[in-house]
Amino acid sequence: MKPDDIATAITQALVQGGAQWLVSTIVAFLPVLWTMTLILHLGRPYVLRTLRRCGLRLGADIWWMSYLILRDALLVATFALSWVFFLPKIVSSAALPITGSLSALCLLIALAIKLSRRVDDDKNAYRLSTAALVLGATLYYGPQVFAVEAASQPYLAGFAQAFTSNTNPGIALILMWIALLGVIVVVGWMFVRTWMAASRSMGGRMSTPAAPPTSKEPVAGAGQ
Amino acid sequence: MSVQDLTNAIVAGINAGGEQFLEGTLAAVLPMLWLAIIGLHLGRPYILTMIDRFTLRLGADLLWLVYVALRDLLIVSGVVMSFMFFFPDVVVTDALPVTGGLAAAALFGVLLVKLMGDPDHELFAFRLTSVLLFIGALCYFVPYLLGVMGSFPFSPALVTNTNPGLAVGLAYVSVALLAIMGAIAAWYTLRTGGRPEEEEAVTESWQR
Repeated sequence: MKPDDIATAITQALVQGGAQWLVSTIVAFLPVLWTMTLILHLGRPYVLRTLRRCGLRLGADIWWMSYLILRDALLVATFALSWVFFLPKIVSSAALPITGSLSALCLLIALAIKLSRRVDDDKNAYRLSTAALVLGATLYYGPQVFAVEAASQPYLAGFAQAFTSNTNPGIALILMWIALLGVIVVVGWMFVRTWMAASRSMGGRMSTPAAPPTSKEPVAGAGQ
Repeated sequence: MSVQDLTNAIVAGINAGGEQFLEGTLAAVLPMLWLAIIGLHLGRPYILTMIDRFTLRLGADLLWLVYVALRDLLIVSGVVMSFMFFFPDVVVTDALPVTGGLAAAALFGVLLVKLMGDPDHELFAFRLTSVLLFIGALCYFVPYLLGVMGSFPFSPALVTNTNPGLAVGLAYVSVALLAIMGAIAAWYTLRTGGRPEEEEAVTESWQR
């Protein structure tokens, strides 16, 4: 083998290996994100209990705001990284949980519930989003722990073969297309809902003539 | 050997090496994380003494919130980073403490007690979290110091890749414990609708 061949091999390896490394890093990072998402969502009673002890409104506001940002940003980030489950080539070539795409759909449903209903005020909406998250986590963790990460266990060989995407690509792709259809439906519904809400609120505002200033309203520059 | 064979060998090396490097880094960071968790838990009286010295309520509130957030986020990070102990392939391949999964389960138990009780105000809940942290630290540090980092005759028995039978068995036990506790946490939040047990009108009005 000549030096040029070795250079070509290293270049190809860096390109192919880099792509595989990126995918496998995302896949390896997803359990972390799923666990954080679940813990933060289920930990709401604890956060409220701590909040209640704050003597000042400012401290309570900061605490609640930090919690909300962290919790919801993690939810969005987990769904964004779960997009890897909707790429047919990767699903059929990499070792992924076979129900990963369905778990991402459950995550999106939880997000849609949060967007459409007041989850932090409405107990039933919170329960619905919790159920969607728990179902999604189960669909993710089960095949991840007992199939993808258990290839070395001979007594789990059947389960691993059935629940890993690249050893059962037919079913994996069918589940992926079903989940993708679900994602399109949910996103379409969210889009129409946002469109209608914006049309209602902005259209109403534009059609209402500006009210004349009352004597109670401050006049610009009056205090100077 | 063809160019493609060499390419495949390098790709396999990059992936396997990268994975082991990541897991090795997590394993190296975990002892520090455990020490910080124990330190913050045991430092509670010190924080409370400092809070009493504040003349301004805002400073006291912020100190307490920063302390609580740091302490509890570290516990969450500990559980999350210990996830590798639940994967049979990782446990069989890497040199990890054999009871690391049980330590992670104990840490998750602490989170469950914090969710369902109030360790900052109930003595029983505080004692329970302290005991769970103590058990978890024992499960992590004893096999880590004497097994992974030690070279005693019994060291191989305390390391996962030299005692894979026990390691995989304990991984399944830990997964079962985690699943049971996770189900309890989900049931609790579903029952309460995401609110603390004792409702207070103040909290409700604050949220609105």
